[in-house]
Amino acid sequence: MTRLLVIDTATAATVAGVALAGDVIERRHDPAPGQRPGHVSQVLVLVEEALAAAGTELGALERIAVGVGPGSFTGLRIGLATARGLAHATGMTKAGISTNGAQAVAAGDRPVIAVLDARRGEAFVARWEAGREVVPPRAVAPADLAAAAAGATLAVGDGAVRFRAQLEPAGVAVPEDGSALHRVGARGLVRLAAGAPIAARDALVPEYVRAPDARPR
Amino acid sequence: MILGIETSCDDTCAAVVTGDGAIRSNVISSQGVHDRYGGVVPEVASRHHLELIDAVVDDALGRADATLDDVDLIAVTQGPGLVGALLVGLSSAKALAAACGLPLAPVDHLQGHVAANFLGPAAFAPPFLCLVASGGHTFLARVTAHEGFEVLGQTLDDAAGEAFDKGARLLGLPFPGGPPLERLARDGDPQAFAFPIAAGVAGLDFSFSGLKTALLYKLREFEPGAAPLADLAAAFQHAIVEAL
Ligand SMILES: [Zn+2]
Repeated sequence: MTRLLVIDTATAATVAGVALAGDVIERRHDPAPGQRPGHVSQVLVLVEEALAAAGTELGALERIAVGVGPGSFTGLRIGLATARGLAHATGMTKAGISTNGAQAVAAGDRPVIAVLDARRGEAFVARWEAGREVVPPRAVAPADLAAAAAGATLAVGDGAVRFRAQLEPAGVAVPEDGSALHRVGARGLVRLAAGAPIAARDALVPEYVRAPDARPR
Repeated sequence: MILGIETSCDDTCAAVVTGDGAIRSNVISSQGVHDRYGGVVPEVASRHHLELIDAVVDDALGRADATLDDVDLIAVTQGPGLVGALLVGLSSAKALAAACGLPLAPVDHLQGHVAANFLGPAAFAPPFLCLVASGGHTFLARVTAHEGFEVLGQTLDDAAGEAFDKGARLLGLPFPGGPPLERLARDGDPQAFAFPIAAGVAGLDFSFSGLKTALLYKLREFEPGAAPLADLAAAFQHAIVEAL
């Protein structure tokens, strides 16, 4: 199995993981309620901690995979710029992986929607089943969540918690608020990382879903 | 050798400089995508920085005939600037430094403007007086050492470059406003109108917002389409340059 580094900064959490011979070492930072995400100050610290805990170093790894979202635009750019820089300096191959997907595959093979709070009252929703993306991520208003959940039996992610009242009446189970299934974890990232296509130098970019707000004059 | 990275506004930049101040390469990728928005859009700038950063760094190293192995220090702009844009360069520089085991020097953008005078074939040695007039900043500094500077005066509102952009917009010219305004002004008479030059500003400070308002009122004195745009551009430009 490939020796992997994974990172994700799409949500409020900062996640780093190292996978060696099937073992996944995770180091993470989850801000306390009301605290700001620690992406920029935490990501390299967590990478170094995960490497040390795994007893390895950057130069011994073959690939870095990074969550491309959707999620916080600024958070994503911190994670992707970091991943690009690490790959640039070491010659590791790099790959972008779906943050939604990492959450979905961590919940098993059943039909699941990964729901991320997209702010502005919306959620980024993607549907996955058996490790494959069935419906790509899109921004969905609360009133349309039940329809977007059609076919899924489970919803995970911070958006699933926030929009529980819209999802549960539609017959979609939402794990309890504190469940680890709602957080992006290294195991889900690693599961997608090994098979993800290698990204060319300039091709590793976020899955923004939304265009910038500005309109041309 | 020092690799410098700067992403504080809409230009994605990297340079390789030697310890004794020789510029081995200096790559500036102007995004050129903001013109149609009439100004720099932070989110658009941030997206482009991420797309361009590795190519710009590679280009700077390539033009310097160097690789990351030749670099002893990585320097990066830490501010002031557009936060989302700064974070791209900062994250990239931190990762490069961490992976290469190199020290990282976070640099103040304004100190960078001043320190640029220490580089290149026509390098300055302190003491000297330094006028910084850019799209984002306008200040006058006394420079007595290689580190630090004393601000003697600064703009109280718009930067000179911003004044050019805003004046150009009033005159119906595209963004960025400096080049088209300068071209239009070539056919005009700078004495045709007397715009206020840093009116009401004490000491060595600058102010350009009153100038913009004066141009707006002057334009309103004319029927639509009848304003002598070249004369207005020339007089407006003259007032900015006189203030500087
Ligand atoms: Zn500047």
